[in-house]
Amino acid sequence: MLEVAGLTRSYGALVALDGVSLEARGGEITGLLGANGAGKSTLLRTVAGLQPPDAGRIRIAGVDLLERPIEAKRRLGYAAEEPDFYEELSAAETLAFLAAVRGLDPAAARDRAHALLERMELDARADEPVRSYSHGMRKKLSFVAAILHRPALLLCDEALEGFDAAAAIAARAELRVLADAGSAVLFSSHVTETIERLCDRAIILHRGRITRELGRADWGGVAPGTSPLERVFLEIAGSPTRAEAG
Amino acid sequence: MPPVPLASAFRDLEGALLRRRFQQLDPVLRLEIAAIAALIAAFVGWQLRIPLDGIARAGGPGAAARALALRLLALALVAAIAAGARYARRLRGPDRPEPAWLALPIPPPAIARHLAWEARRIVPWALVPALGALAAAVGLVPAPLLLLIAAAFASLLVPAGHAGCAIALLLASPATAAAGGLELSRPHPIERPLALGPPEARSVRLPRVRWRREAPWRALWRKDLLLALRNPPVQARGRSLIVVMALSALVWRLPVDPAFAHLAAFALALTAGALLAGWLIELAGADPFATLRGLPLGAAPVWGARAAWALTGAGALAAFQVLARPALAPPALAVFLAWTAGAALALGLYGAQLGITLHPRADHARRVLGVSLAVAVAASLMIPLLGWVLLLAALVHSAIGLRRWSAPAGS
Repeated sequence: MLEVAGLTRSYGALVALDGVSLEARGGEITGLLGANGAGKSTLLRTVAGLQPPDAGRIRIAGVDLLERPIEAKRRLGYAAEEPDFYEELSAAETLAFLAAVRGLDPAAARDRAHALLERMELDARADEPVRSYSHGMRKKLSFVAAILHRPALLLCDEALEGFDAAAAIAARAELRVLADAGSAVLFSSHVTETIERLCDRAIILHRGRITRELGRADWGGVAPGTSPLERVFLEIAGSPTRAEAG
Repeated sequence: MPPVPLASAFRDLEGALLRRRFQQLDPVLRLEIAAIAALIAAFVGWQLRIPLDGIARAGGPGAAARALALRLLALALVAAIAAGARYARRLRGPDRPEPAWLALPIPPPAIARHLAWEARRIVPWALVPALGALAAAVGLVPAPLLLLIAAAFASLLVPAGHAGCAIALLLASPATAAAGGLELSRPHPIERPLALGPPEARSVRLPRVRWRREAPWRALWRKDLLLALRNPPVQARGRSLIVVMALSALVWRLPVDPAFAHLAAFALALTAGALLAGWLIELAGADPFATLRGLPLGAAPVWGARAAWALTGAGALAAFQVLARPALAPPALAVFLAWTAGAALALGLYGAQLGITLHPRADHARRVLGVSLAVAVAASLMIPLLGWVLLLAALVHSAIGLRRWSAPAGS
């Protein structure tokens, strides 16, 4: 679903990506693990078409991003680490705008947006301007915007960071639903536990290079879904609307 | 390692900021800015040469030197006012500095000095017309005296910028204190605006949204409409635009000579066109980079939405003029309307295209628009209609850049 070959990107003398080649397959959640500054965000921003690579090739669902960027972006969702929004629009207005630009069916998009906002506990404030949102609420909105159109490839850059426990569980469930429907998810994080719990496969990025690729079996098969601490939290603060992580 | 003195730490920071900003400028843009600066200097020199020559012939070199010195003094005053206005806008505007500055173990005067430094960066631009003025005086004012005037002007610019910012700080401080109801015991004037921080984000409920199926350009246009109604900088520029449009129509109703009303209406209509371009750049600057550029949008819908706004603006200008019922014969009125609305449309499209091609750098787009308009006005004063030719060339040049929109940003 995502094929990256020989991707290189430098900022002056700093080589952020050094010949990165990787694949994110449909039906899988691929973790991208790396320390701060390893090049994860650069990789995701480049794959999202927000900055050009110095060299390399990116294919999204068979479409070359550099040759046919608009077609490639139709198949793409991107939840940024530091999302930026139209501050004066509400979450609902933002999502309606994105749905219109992406050519989604209005009624279906509205129903899906409402359901996602409810799961993220944003529904009560969906008609308030984004400028009044906290960091966590912005991250949730960014996540909803990225999956609203059920993209063939979803890029998540530290997407769950800032989520409260209940929303994180709901988001993980959404990611699993998306992957089960055949989408590829590339999920970057510097937190190993998040990758262990969520991903089917992990790619380790170190100083701009892929150093290892591992399968779930390689890290000892941590049970997916809620942790004991999360279960306690949910007993106290849980919401009946929450979907359990798969 | 011994601690770095505060003054030199700020000097290092400011030097690094200047270097970084210069490096961020596209090399072609650097050349264009240099070329435009040279043109402005040449224009000023050309405009001043004849009056200075007349003064020198009538009153001698001393009179010419006095005239030159007075003009440079006025220029320094303008630079001081510009720096002060920038500083005041920074301290009182919606993007005023964060209170986090006050958490640093730095004396308030040092913070004020650093924040004023940002505003004073406009001051050195006064050297561009000054060089033109000095060049105009070559041969009319004795060389040693000319050098003395040049040195005096250069050394005056620094305190002029400081004075402008100091006055702005004094003016901005009580205003922000009143706005926030803050009571501090003998605070430094910078502490009041800093303590207030950015304006509170009020939580308001907006009207329920209607989900529509529509062409991308219409969705963008509708989004722009919401921004025009809610985004404070876009609102402010929109208000100025409407006021100038209204003035360009009202001037026909003034009890003045019709020829003067005609000229004033024409000048105000062209000003409205320039403001329309600035408004469209502000609108483009309100588009968040990753949100917009991550969407599957080609240049056509983005340009289409903004072109629709340029057309709306030009139409509104024409409507204002028609409603004012100018005292012109029908053919003359038709020419007037076609000329002013056409100019407003061209200027609006130019602003829209600059906003798109230089996205997300609205500040660059504003600067390019400003210097383009200055060059066009200067060119038209030198050779009638030449400015329009230059503007149309700039319009075509910016249109060519639109094709880069879909490619990954920066490629």
